[in-house]
Amino acid sequence: MASLKRSIERDPLAANISSKVYVRSTKSGKVQKIVREVYLRQDIPCSSKLCRSCLTTAPKDAAGRTIPFVLSEDPAGTSAFPQGHYLVPDTNALLSAMDLFEQSSAFYDVVILQIVLEELRNRSLPLYNRLIGLTKSEDKRFYVFFNEFRLETHVARGDGESVNDRNDRAVRKAVAWYAEHLGRIKGKKAPAIVMLSNDRDNLRKARQEGLHACSLGGYVKQLKDGDRLLDMIPDTEDREIVKDKRPGDNLYPEYFTISKMMTGVKSGLLHQGIFGVSPYNYLEGSIRVPAFPKALLVLGRENINRAVDGDLVVIEVLPKDQWKEPSTQVIEEEAVTKNENPDTEASEDFISEKERKALQEDVKRTHSKTTEGHAQPTARVVGVAKRNWRQYVGHIDQSSISQSGQQGRKQDSVFVIPMDKKIPKIRLRTRQVAELLGKRILVTIDSWDRSSRHPSGHFVRSLGELETKAAETEALLLEYDVQYRPFPKTVLDCLPKEGHDWKVPASLEDPGWKDREDLRGLLICSIDPIGCQDIDDALHCKPLPNGNLEVGVHIADVSHFVKPGNAMDTEASIRGTTVYLVDKRIDMLPMLLGTDLCSLKPYVERYAFSVLWEMTPDANIVNSRFTKSVIKSREAFSYEQAQLRVDDVSQQDELTLSIRSLLALSRKLKQKRMDAGALSLSSPEVKVQMESETSDPIDVKTKEHLDTMSLVEEFMLLANTSVAAKIYDAFPQTAILRRHAAPPKTNFDELSNQLRVKRGLELSVESSRALADSLDACVDPKEPFFNTLIRVMATRCMMSAEYFCSGTQAYPEFRHYGLASEIYTHFTSPIRRYADLVAHRQLAAAIEYEAVHPSVRSRGRLEAVCKNINVRHRNAQLAGRASIAYYVGQALRGKATEEDGFVMKVFSNGFVVLVPRFGIESLIRLRDLAEQEPQATYDAETYTLTAEGSREIKVELFQKVRVKVTDQKDETTGKRGVKMELVKTL
Amino acid sequence: MASTQHALLSPAELAYLHAALSLTPPIRPDGRSPAQFRPLVAETGILPGTNGSARICFADGTEAIVGVKAEVERTRGGYEGEIVEGGGAEEVVTDVNDEEKKGESDWVEMTVEIPGLRDDDATTAFLGAMISEALLADGGFSRRLWINRRFHWKLYLDILLISPPLSYPLPLLSLTTHLALLATRLPRLKSEGDEDPFFDDDWAAARYLYPRNKKDGKTTARPPVTLLVMAVGNNIIFDPAKEELAVADVALAVSIGEDATTAATATGDDASLMMDVDSTTAAAAITSARNLRLLSIRTIDPPSRLTPSGVPNATNTAYGAATTQKQPEARTAEAEAVEGVWRAPRGGAKPLVMAALVHKVLEKGGIADEVLDALHAVDLG
Repeated sequence: MASLKRSIERDPLAANISSKVYVRSTKSGKVQKIVREVYLRQDIPCSSKLCRSCLTTAPKDAAGRTIPFVLSEDPAGTSAFPQGHYLVPDTNALLSAMDLFEQSSAFYDVVILQIVLEELRNRSLPLYNRLIGLTKSEDKRFYVFFNEFRLETHVARGDGESVNDRNDRAVRKAVAWYAEHLGRIKGKKAPAIVMLSNDRDNLRKARQEGLHACSLGGYVKQLKDGDRLLDMIPDTEDREIVKDKRPGDNLYPEYFTISKMMTGVKSGLLHQGIFGVSPYNYLEGSIRVPAFPKALLVLGRENINRAVDGDLVVIEVLPKDQWKEPSTQVIEEEAVTKNENPDTEASEDFISEKERKALQEDVKRTHSKTTEGHAQPTARVVGVAKRNWRQYVGHIDQSSISQSGQQGRKQDSVFVIPMDKKIPKIRLRTRQVAELLGKRILVTIDSWDRSSRHPSGHFVRSLGELETKAAETEALLLEYDVQYRPFPKTVLDCLPKEGHDWKVPASLEDPGWKDREDLRGLLICSIDPIGCQDIDDALHCKPLPNGNLEVGVHIADVSHFVKPGNAMDTEASIRGTTVYLVDKRIDMLPMLLGTDLCSLKPYVERYAFSVLWEMTPDANIVNSRFTKSVIKSREAFSYEQAQLRVDDVSQQDELTLSIRSLLALSRKLKQKRMDAGALSLSSPEVKVQMESETSDPIDVKTKEHLDTMSLVEEFMLLANTSVAAKIYDAFPQTAILRRHAAPPKTNFDELSNQLRVKRGLELSVESSRALADSLDACVDPKEPFFNTLIRVMATRCMMSAEYFCSGTQAYPEFRHYGLASEIYTHFTSPIRRYADLVAHRQLAAAIEYEAVHPSVRSRGRLEAVCKNINVRHRNAQLAGRASIAYYVGQALRGKATEEDGFVMKVFSNGFVVLVPRFGIESLIRLRDLAEQEPQATYDAETYTLTAEGSREIKVELFQKVRVKVTDQKDETTGKRGVKMELVKTL
Repeated sequence: MASTQHALLSPAELAYLHAALSLTPPIRPDGRSPAQFRPLVAETGILPGTNGSARICFADGTEAIVGVKAEVERTRGGYEGEIVEGGGAEEVVTDVNDEEKKGESDWVEMTVEIPGLRDDDATTAFLGAMISEALLADGGFSRRLWINRRFHWKLYLDILLISPPLSYPLPLLSLTTHLALLATRLPRLKSEGDEDPFFDDDWAAARYLYPRNKKDGKTTARPPVTLLVMAVGNNIIFDPAKEELAVADVALAVSIGEDATTAATATGDDASLMMDVDSTTAAAAITSARNLRLLSIRTIDPPSRLTPSGVPNATNTAYGAATTQKQPEARTAEAEAVEGVWRAPRGGAKPLVMAALVHKVLEKGGIADEVLDALHAVDLG
């Protein structure tokens, strides 16, 4: 009987077939054995430009072209390999030191083996994506070699061999093959093939087999700037020593196993959520989980258990006797852990005396509490589902440097204090303490062992001196993950070839005119902030013979230039939004489009996407329609210019008249919106005035509000709402919309309690209408700003608005709470927001201007896009605010002014003051009040802090105070910030 | 229950066969000795996509393959709310003792396919029932499928006869199933206690359903086998061919199992535990060096018990001949045995013959030993 199994001896082709067997567990809990046949081939090229033989056999595409070879014929050499070398890293080398490979000074001509790439993807997706980026970059010359599919380099797993051993063997075999393959080239001395690994065993075996093999450290030492690069290698030897420690030294509880967490979460006993750290207290975190209406508190180092702000963690709710109130104290990490020594930390107690003391306060307070209901549920972190570690900007804590470290190039442990106060100190080992001191540096966290108080990380690069504009701006962009690199060539290739000479085609026969309405005859103008270059929108208003008005909103037709799916579109979808800093704008689209071809500049013809309404003089819409069009803007006004023109009675030209009627309509629209319950929210907004030449900040002004601003705003809102309804109608499942969820009532608990206690005012939050009305009622006749203050505080209780794909929510959930609109989207700023661009494409498809592109129809893709732009949008806002805060600090530099401020928040050892003039808020600590920290009692019921002793003062919530504002460089954070001193209470 | 259709043999041929088999020692048509099996060729692991598979060819040309697929299934009635300790804090889930690991018989689903027969054909159903009965008889097998208190493996056995049923396929199918189960591996469990199961994705780490001895790679415990034994007169004949079965006085399907512990190594505890388990099953345990256990016995209706063709209706009991008293002379005439003329056996099996049958199967160095030894030799790689 012949065997049914494939036998190697008898089948001449058997050598070309192999198989791979593994177990796959699906989400639904199914476990399957998967067998994949692997067909081995011999035409996978080595991709070295030195090699002739691969060139002849390399597979060709349909057009008969081969993929150009990547590895240089003349690779760089090192001291050990003067003839030049190609690098072959193993997975661990990439896992631990991806930053090294991204260096521009070294690490060229790298062969990435398929097995390594696959292993990396399983271990860390972000690193995998970075590596893919590297393999795509032309100048780094990274080549992915499919070693598993090449006959000579395929390795079958041996009996009893572990997967890791097998993969290591595959790497060594590929290295050997490369060496042998390139060694056959005649004439030239072949480059050395160097395996990079940190695995001692693998290195030893490679050397035994006669291969070139280096540890990362050993290799980097051969390079010219080796010392600098050496810092980027996490010290694995160190870690091994740490592992040898007695188990009793572990400071943190162990995490649950993955399956235990999964089971717990599924059964509802554990919860999963994003961990967030309180900005005022680094030992207090909160997690919002779907199961509870209110966020859960996580208090103390042990309960936080190595979670870092932003991590997706799994928590367990603590028993009721451990429930606490959120701390009313300000606890700053720098202050509490100031004198820790990064070298000898393990010998210290896990919870330091000072931290313990800070916690004692809490306990005392909970015990003295009469009302028990105040205690909030607490939880502890039992595992991390997904780390969200990124690169952090920070600077070296001067006090953590040991004396010996100041000189010599010995490796030293120091602490890095991240700019973001929510991120814990990071322990860093570096040889360049002296150089890095006083610099903004970029670091990453590598690990956080149970036995280590602080996470350990490694140095990535230096951004420059603290407080230099370049360093601080870059720091800011990095912190908020803004893509600020110049557009790559592939993106620029998507621009129209005519460049700035591009014009609307003169001939109406041109395909560009197809289905476009000629609106060049209309009196269209744009109104924007001063100096605006990317003009998204323009307006017109024309009386109709029947007494009604025709109103048009014309939006730059970006979708004409950015076709879905090309490199430019992909880049824009990643960037998501244009980021505005005080002195800089990071564009979503290349300049040529944003500020010229798409921008609705005056006096030139431009493509536009128009929304046209017929309105009655009472601002009721008779009908609306959408069309692609060609317009010619008559004038680009600034808000101020437009306001002057409207106010100037002598101006009676047609354009001014149309702006006036727009203004009249906009007032009616606004009234309607307010009647429907739209909220007028507030956040303190200021503008930094810059010196025109040096762009140094000279003054800070609060933004003025002009009627023309709300004119533009009203019509944009109207256009957005109309478009939202239209695209939802056309694509009920996939329309891109924007919603603003109604805030949970509990969000307002604190604020309404504060208002009731302090002012006897009631905040009703049943609906946006009720809230709007009760906010209107929150006035203090003596203090006009009080109302704004309450609005600022109310705004912070709100949910943030978000983009979503209409199929993911039920219609009632579409509601935009703040605007009191049933349905809403973003349509009016396609130059600076990606969501608008998608809405444009959907609207174009809805009016049958063009065919529906798959990317605007696929719900999965749209959800991914929404997720990304929601994050980007938020980051852009934060970056913008941080930029303003930085410049406010710079503008105040060396000046001291006294300003009025308001108390926004009271702690038991300090209070927060908002100064409307500068739009800044700052903490005033008790110990700042006087030389010697005064004794204080805090009454949480009445939000009153009474200080006695060295300074007698009583601070209440909402109180108006006079503060002295100066700038101050915070020695520990290295940030120049605003420092406030209390002058007196008013 | 008829085991096969009639063999197309004339009464004279049948009588000759019967006579030959009744001799001491019996002379079998194919020249085998009474306890000799037909030669067979076996291999395992022929279906890479399954958890375990095997194929056996008998020399008479019959061939069967068996594939085993496993799936994780939630145990019905497995408690839901009680996993507190699983998701909870330090309490480690206490080890579940063996007695708690109970299996259910519906954790195994078996389909038998015989070419030319419908899947609801009585023969097919009976074959499936006999093989699964042997598997599930003592609960030991389904206990192996226990993952934790909330989950278990569900095993799907697909038993395919891929040749025409030239002889009664029970031994072939049973032996193939036995081999396939020996080769069956289940992904290694990584989670602990009553958590949702979580498995190692490395197939090489998968565990055998019947764990093997590290030294010689052989298993200690083994799945049961069902053997077909028949008796003619006082002769006991194993693995009967189709023609032999046609003249059997009695045919038995005997299922035997082998326990993990051999008598030599069994400790007192183990032995008593085993006895406990055994007492739940109907079968009695007979210990030998191999520690073989009788799991079940089924009598098979051999074709010889059916009325052969060519019998007049008048004498056919199926047509009521037995109840009619009108022709007493016909009955007496029939009762007389005539040399060289086949007469279907009447009456049940003799208890002594039955006892001898069972003894022969289980005795040390007996047929079961021989078969299991032979299967031991199959490479399970």
